[in-house]
Amino acid sequence: MSSQEEPSTPSPTPIRAEIPDALLEAGGLKPGASRAVSSQTGIPEADIFGVGSFFHLLAEPHIKVRICQGLSCQMAGSDKLLQQAKATGLPAAGCSCLAACDRPVAALRDRTILPDLTGTDLERAGGDWKSLQSEALGTSENWKGVVGPADTPTEQLVIDLSSDTDFSGHALSRAQELGPDGVIEAIETSGLQGRGGAGFPAGFKWKAVRSEARTPRYLVLNADEGEPGTFKDREVLLRRPDRVVEGLLVAARTVGAQAIYCYLRGEFGGPWRALETAFDRFEQAGLCDGISWHLHAGHGAYICGEETALLEALEGKRGMPRLKPPFPTQVGLWGQPTLIHNVETIACVPEIVLRGGEWFDNLGRTGPGTKLYCVSGDVEQPGTYELPLGISLDDLLQVAGGMRGTLKAFSPGGASSGFLPASERHRPLDFQSLKEVDTMLGSAGVVVLNKQADLAQAVRAQLEFFAQESCGQCAPCRIGTRFQARNLETLLASTRAGTTREQIQEVAWEMNEGSICGLGQIASLPLTSALRWFPEIFEP
Amino acid sequence: MIESPSILLDGNPVPYRPGETLLEVATRAGQDIPTLCHDPRLEPMGSCRTCLVEIEGWPRLAPSCATLAEPDMQVTTANPRIQRHRRLLFSLYLADHPTEHEACEDGAPCELHHLAHRHNADPNWPHMEPLRADRPGDRNPYVEFRADRCILCARCTRYCDEVEGVNAITLTGRGSETTISTSDQISLMDSSCELCGGCIAVCPTGAMAEKMPLVAGAPPERELQKVRTTCNYCGVGCQLDLNVDPSADEGRGRIVKVTSPPPGTITGDGNLCVKGRFAYDFVHHPDRLTTPLVRQPDGSLAEATWEEAIARAAAGLMGVRERHGSDALGFVSSSRCTGEENYLIQKLARAVFGTNNVHSCAAT
Repeated sequence: MSSQEEPSTPSPTPIRAEIPDALLEAGGLKPGASRAVSSQTGIPEADIFGVGSFFHLLAEPHIKVRICQGLSCQMAGSDKLLQQAKATGLPAAGCSCLAACDRPVAALRDRTILPDLTGTDLERAGGDWKSLQSEALGTSENWKGVVGPADTPTEQLVIDLSSDTDFSGHALSRAQELGPDGVIEAIETSGLQGRGGAGFPAGFKWKAVRSEARTPRYLVLNADEGEPGTFKDREVLLRRPDRVVEGLLVAARTVGAQAIYCYLRGEFGGPWRALETAFDRFEQAGLCDGISWHLHAGHGAYICGEETALLEALEGKRGMPRLKPPFPTQVGLWGQPTLIHNVETIACVPEIVLRGGEWFDNLGRTGPGTKLYCVSGDVEQPGTYELPLGISLDDLLQVAGGMRGTLKAFSPGGASSGFLPASERHRPLDFQSLKEVDTMLGSAGVVVLNKQADLAQAVRAQLEFFAQESCGQCAPCRIGTRFQARNLETLLASTRAGTTREQIQEVAWEMNEGSICGLGQIASLPLTSALRWFPEIFEP
Repeated sequence: MIESPSILLDGNPVPYRPGETLLEVATRAGQDIPTLCHDPRLEPMGSCRTCLVEIEGWPRLAPSCATLAEPDMQVTTANPRIQRHRRLLFSLYLADHPTEHEACEDGAPCELHHLAHRHNADPNWPHMEPLRADRPGDRNPYVEFRADRCILCARCTRYCDEVEGVNAITLTGRGSETTISTSDQISLMDSSCELCGGCIAVCPTGAMAEKMPLVAGAPPERELQKVRTTCNYCGVGCQLDLNVDPSADEGRGRIVKVTSPPPGTITGDGNLCVKGRFAYDFVHHPDRLTTPLVRQPDGSLAEATWEEAIARAAAGLMGVRERHGSDALGFVSSSRCTGEENYLIQKLARAVFGTNNVHSCAAT
């Protein structure tokens, strides 16, 4: 954790927050590591073990190479690469989506993401994990994805991934002129909705935190991007960290937060460096005065992208989502009022402040603003495209160079959104229209599948992902995710199929009603959506 | 007088004290809401999801154990939605748990099976082999963890942290592989565990089980007779239940385990220490003295009545005082004595024998 001297509000439980990093320094959760960290920190040994065992990158220190098993990487043959990696003697395992779906197959060497990995790369490593390189990447670890569309005028872009960074602090000056109430008014007028998946109105949260009497208040950046099919936050952090940091500073000053905590997934070395540099630039310009900032690395747990799980992880606990209510705006980090936003949401802030809420609102087609759409799978130019909110899949495919093959199915917003058939290609990809077909925009991680794709395998990949990434806290999700994965196999083997179909719907209902957080609530969707739209894949 | 606030519980106004949870209010009003992860001694966790209720205006069902009553809240504890939720939730639990009710209850009763039955769970859903790790080879003599029965309610880990302040066990791993473990899966003997056995007492499913009766093949708890008594290991006076197998020892009965009464019913709140919970085997030991013994002129010990034995002790003490004075005597009381007994022995020393030489071994 890198930090600046904090002026007046030391973290109430700073020691516990350091457990994950202390375990990382100890080389992961090797025998004796918990005891060693316990004697350094005075925190009970079992608590440390419980935390470490929750995070895959800490819990399995012997695994040095991880091959992404996300849907887009699977479609590019990642399971074969994993077998090959193991066969060549690499200490390898599969892992959940590495947020590099635009450049499959992605692999993780220790904590470094290697995109475009091939069988030749694996051969060349010859069983030595340290020498594993992606030839497409070369020796550089600074890589980016494709962004677009290239010809959009700047005044129609909110984040504007391909323009140069700007550390002048214009939005901060403008925010100062507007005052906190003026800024909140602009955010409310803009209609900005959370870009992390839930689509919750941002202005509402800002107002709620600002109206809390208790201090300190905190601002948290959710950069734990991990929804399969999603890699936009990576691009924002790499290309426009200025927008992110300026947005954070505007938000912190507006809601009265004196400390900013950024939680980045542990695999995001490049984005980490970019964000750190951007903070330094603003700090050198004297624009961070009175606000401390902290970067915190995740250690391999998708669930920590859920806002309250993220807060738990920041506090150095197992990343298990909290009960809501109370919401983080009231009871957040260390129990204090906390504003928490996804990277893309916060990166929208500077332009909203500069150009006004109405400008942002008018940019969208069916909802306010532009949206970063990630597209991967069977598409010519996988990448991140900033487009008016509410464009259709066809519009997206057009800017991304078109399909490879003929469209069969697509996943509109990550694994959590299940699958839609080609007939939905004209439906606006926005928060409301997708709800009408029982799915969601989510993080707008669009994965497209052509006629050659194995849809049953795609469903399997998504179900296994949720079973892997369930925190295990509540029974509907812990048992339900595994149960549904098993039900899929039963269906495909078409024994007892009638009962199984009924059971799938019942369990999906219960997971939605009974689970604590969004993961469990929607985790049946890959299966139930496939049953609804693609019944033929389950025919004998 | 200020009128106390109330909620509308299943249509009826029920007053509550600020700070009470919906579960507390509903239970006091006689509603039977199922719970698994709840224990009145612990901070609510809300993770077992069995106690969910419907609150007017809330889009999602809410855990009654963790939701505070608020003025005029409209709460429904039973309707088709809640009943469907309970039936399906318990069906899921059973798919991940030993299916045979009786076999599952080889030790303590299984709250899960009881609740599942009461809420019409389907016991015939396909069973999944649990992925939770046991802790094989733990050489501790008392606590056996049987992960297949574990429902991860975390009562044991929270009890260990919040009540005992020991933090020996923790939720470990993630997803279906989540289990209860010590650090590095070490034996409880090598951890901070004090072997209080509270984890066994709070476990709703017998996943945390007492080793000795299992090893001895004792009958399941439902066939045992509970005899309430006071622990005689120290002066605290904890109440405990001797669990007697009435048919053992040719019908004379035998204590096969000790359980703690439910929290809230006795002093001690259901908490016991290692001695009270596990050190009961002396009761049936052949060396145990069950009548006083008095030394005979030839040096042997002979059985005597209490009157004879006390008279003999009194004569000896008075003899020493006559020959050597009061301060030749010293009185040491056992650490197993109660406060009242310690008071009496100092009274005996000071008022009867006239010496201040008095001590309790609990003080050292």
